[in-house]
Amino acid sequence: MPKFILAKLARAFLTIMMVMTFAFIVLRLSGDPAQVLLGPDAPLDAVIAFRERWGLNDPIWKQYLAYLTQIMRLDFGVSMRSQTPAINLVLERVPATLALTIPALILKLGIGIPAGVYAALHRGSLADRGVIMLSIFGFTIPSFVLGLVLVLIFAVSLTWLPSGGQDTYWHAVLPIITLSIGGIGILARFSRSAMIEVLGQPYIRTAMSKGLPWRDVVWKHALPNAAVPIVTLVGFMVGALIAGAVVVESIFAWPGVGRLIVISVANRDLAVVQALLLVIAASMVIANLLVDVAYGLLDPRLRSKRAAH
Amino acid sequence: MPRSLMAQGARRSITIAVQKITNNGTLDIWNEQSNVGERVFFPNLWEGLIERDWMGNQGPVPGLATEWKRIDDKTIELKLRPGVKFHNGDEMTAEDVVFSFSDERVFAGTKPSNGTTLYEENFKPQTAKELPAVVPGVARRLWPALRGVEAVDKYTVRFHNATPDVTLEGRLYAFGSQITSKRAWDEAATYAIWAAKPVTTGAYRVEEFRPDVSLTLVAFDEYWGGRPPLERIRFVEVPEVAGRVNGLLSGEYDFACDLPPDQIAAVQAAPGLEVQSSTIWNHRITTFNTQNEVLRDPLVRRAMTHSIDRQAIVDALWGGQTVVPAGLQFESFRTADMFVEGWSVPEYNPELARDLLKQAGYKGDVIPYRLLNNYYTNQTPSAQILVEMWKQTGLNVEIQMKENWGQIHDPEGTKGVRDWSASNTINDPITPLVVQFGPNGEAQQKRDWSNAEVNQLAAVMETSTDRAVRKKAFARMLEICEREDPAYTVLHQNAVFTGVKSELKWKAAPAFAMDFRPSNWKL
Repeated sequence: MPKFILAKLARAFLTIMMVMTFAFIVLRLSGDPAQVLLGPDAPLDAVIAFRERWGLNDPIWKQYLAYLTQIMRLDFGVSMRSQTPAINLVLERVPATLALTIPALILKLGIGIPAGVYAALHRGSLADRGVIMLSIFGFTIPSFVLGLVLVLIFAVSLTWLPSGGQDTYWHAVLPIITLSIGGIGILARFSRSAMIEVLGQPYIRTAMSKGLPWRDVVWKHALPNAAVPIVTLVGFMVGALIAGAVVVESIFAWPGVGRLIVISVANRDLAVVQALLLVIAASMVIANLLVDVAYGLLDPRLRSKRAAH
Repeated sequence: MPRSLMAQGARRSITIAVQKITNNGTLDIWNEQSNVGERVFFPNLWEGLIERDWMGNQGPVPGLATEWKRIDDKTIELKLRPGVKFHNGDEMTAEDVVFSFSDERVFAGTKPSNGTTLYEENFKPQTAKELPAVVPGVARRLWPALRGVEAVDKYTVRFHNATPDVTLEGRLYAFGSQITSKRAWDEAATYAIWAAKPVTTGAYRVEEFRPDVSLTLVAFDEYWGGRPPLERIRFVEVPEVAGRVNGLLSGEYDFACDLPPDQIAAVQAAPGLEVQSSTIWNHRITTFNTQNEVLRDPLVRRAMTHSIDRQAIVDALWGGQTVVPAGLQFESFRTADMFVEGWSVPEYNPELARDLLKQAGYKGDVIPYRLLNNYYTNQTPSAQILVEMWKQTGLNVEIQMKENWGQIHDPEGTKGVRDWSASNTINDPITPLVVQFGPNGEAQQKRDWSNAEVNQLAAVMETSTDRAVRKKAFARMLEICEREDPAYTVLHQNAVFTGVKSELKWKAAPAFAMDFRPSNWKL
């Protein structure tokens, strides 16, 4: 097990380094931050002074080495825009995003999986067809369309809920619903097909022929086996907790990580983009690690394979 | 407003939805020289010695100074308004004015052109704050030859310039020349802390600033101009147009700014709402790069300027809500008697354009058009229309979409035409023509274009004190830059559209600035 964890950690480290390197190169090749940040009317001497201040005149390899050294010291640099530490800007935004994405994840899991399982257990019924139809609607409608439609109905026409901003708990309702609808649809579809596949397996027939009650067949034999592919999907969703609300945050003027990504990439605020990518990559990698561990817990065969290694 | 609140003298608070609060995330006038910055700064927060008449002809009116006079061509003396309080309770004195134009606050050791620094002691930093790299460069653009500010007594200051300059008064009410408290600067631990809550003399003070989220200004009851009419002004950043419009329709926002022209009808159709439009002192222009082999020939550039039906663009994309100006001129030039009567943009004449192209021997070579996606309102559809109009006269212009200004100015590859805008900031033709197209302007610095005669005329504009000579120089510059050797061509004046609740008796200024002082708020 420790060997397994160490291998995973090494891979995670490598992944993060690759993301950071890629981001470093792409950001520097796709626009001069001095020109972007100072705008079209900036005097040339101001642009020159800016480039000198932020070391943008150094060769790219030198900038990269300086950047790596900084990262190793856990120094993520200073925002060119606001002159404040980049990591602080990022961490300030994380709670706002999690305030949307965690409730949305709970809704996705709490509605999507039971709906999918129920549909699979009642395959062909009216309820099954209803779940299929609603789930297709859920994951095909783009979030920017859904968000605006919800605003038109609940904020403009009915005036029940606010249209955007972050002032009260009520402001979070529409963004959370917008974020969760797609995921509910995907999880319902996925859970349904995973359950249908498992329910057709010989061991389910065996369990039923042994005379086990239907409830035990479903809870003890079908669900744990269907859970493996669902966990993979949930892993992606957990990994996207920090960066998965870019569009919704823009529609609802919600000041989270997504908005910060858009603003800092548009401004080529290098330190902030890099700090953001580090946090996002780390969250993805951690989610993947958790999924790997969950596989082992759910499927004894994977545990024994790892032990054999 | 409920009667109970009125009885207590309680004031209304308002929420304004904007696309951006600031571009650079600070509230420093020298660091945030943008249109959006103008909106949140003026005239409610930052004030200058001389103020712009925002609701009038944009000319100069007394601000923190009550009167001013010329000592000579290079020196101006101003009497400060006594009893003006900063938001920290201090009285504004000459010391604060001197500080506001000091090395420590803006110039950071840069030297005035054609002269030396006066009053060296004023330029010695007394605190260890790091000034952002951009500030001295921007400051020297507005005050290229300022040698220093002298405190004659507690309420009298003198501005000393290295060169004769008829525009000193104009520079005093331009974006950047506003006054801040020296003590507040000294007490702030870092520049970032100071720039998030600058201490000024405005009718409203900063209560809370969350960059990219919101800015809350609160009434400053010791304001020299009387009790502010609003309790709080809250700017909230709502990047999507639909979000701003929906928030206005649902009643959450009192104002929705930066509406594109195609949203005007939707807002106006809603009960209780109206749209206020105003042309601003900013013209949309298209500039030429003469490094391009095809565009090197002025005949081709002239053909391009005559191929454009500007009124068609104004009618189609702006609903006729803006105008085609008289070249790179602004109505505000009239306040300084510098408006060249009878001048206009090149006439729309496709026949003439075809003839010019024939004379130039143009063979249909591609002219690249580096384009940003709607950095300016209606930028992309305007570009598409321009390309089609050019095509009608035989010009082969190809749009290349770019993501940012760095890519627009990238020296790699071939440049052709690009979009820009030109602002008038000091009611004198020096802005924008000399500032943007003169020898130190960006067009020449970026090697887009240059012209020896224009450079000589720019020097006349900058240093001559004879109005007639200056006006003649300006007229000749227009002839060269817009006809003989086109550097750019003007498309139309820019305009802003603000959705607002009709019950608010408030008027939009012909600017981005939003005036919430007592004189412009009647409920």
